Amino acid sequence: MGNWGFVGLAYGLASVALFSYLLLLKGRLRGAQEELAALERDSGRRTR
Amino acid sequence: MEERTVVASAQWASEHGRVGAGASLAAKVLGAAAALVLAAGLYLGLVVVPPDAVQGDVQRIMYLHVPSIVTAYVAFFVVFCTSVLYLWKRDLRFDAVAVASAEIGVVLTGITLATGSIWGKSTWGVWWTWDARLTLTAILFTIYVGYLMLRSFAEDPRAGARYGAVLAILGFLDIPLNHFAVYWWRTLHQPSSIIRPGGPSVASTMLVPLGINFAGLVLLSIYLLLERVRLERIRHRTIEVRLKRGRRG
Repeated sequence: MGNWGFVGLAYGLASVALFSYLLLLKGRLRGAQEELAALERDSGRRTR
Repeated sequence: MEERTVVASAQWASEHGRVGAGASLAAKVLGAAAALVLAAGLYLGLVVVPPDAVQGDVQRIMYLHVPSIVTAYVAFFVVFCTSVLYLWKRDLRFDAVAVASAEIGVVLTGITLATGSIWGKSTWGVWWTWDARLTLTAILFTIYVGYLMLRSFAEDPRAGARYGAVLAILGFLDIPLNHFAVYWWRTLHQPSSIIRPGGPSVASTMLVPLGINFAGLVLLSIYLLLERVRLERIRHRTIEVRLKRGRRG
């Protein structure tokens, strides 16, 4: 592997790691928001 | 979970409007600013700055490797401070910031280890060596992965927060040890070329992309921190709603 191959590998791996973490975080946020919304809807219905 | 924890969660989770709402404007601006600054830093480091006289183009990995570990140190310093504050005040807001910052620090330390290994293969001829600096960085990574595992396995969130805070404070001691390892032991890793007595030893043309990428990673970390803390608030609010529902039967 040439010099630029190593550079590309390093920057590529770092980009994948950061984007994966960002996407994972967004997915966890979406899941938690949906769970909370469902719980609050259900609680509201029970109160009425 | 005990009543005290529920009350603390409720107070925090219910503050400042709806917790289920999307990212704040501040977070969106920070995310956009981080993307722009990182793009500028990458352009400078990969295109504008000339190759290193000795190492050639492979030295460009340093424009990512060095800012990653410095930003990880900042993230772990935040974990250290908020863990001390949590043990002192027992306020779950500090714990939420600690766990969020630890996650970001782990991602950045992982990037540091991976990029350092790639640079090592091209320069030293090996992917890994049990050098003091490399080993202490791997230990740092393991300590905070352990911290996150401890947090996720704890059945009582208050106990998880307390044990996690103690581990985070003790684990932070690895950072000064890691910084001085290159002076105290004979290592393959070169001594610090930026944070050193007498100022940086690298050319100013190289300092610019290093500084810009560091600023970009700090902005990105703050953006990720805000989003990760928002996740903790939603989780606390969910626990609160569940418990209220349970009490009503």
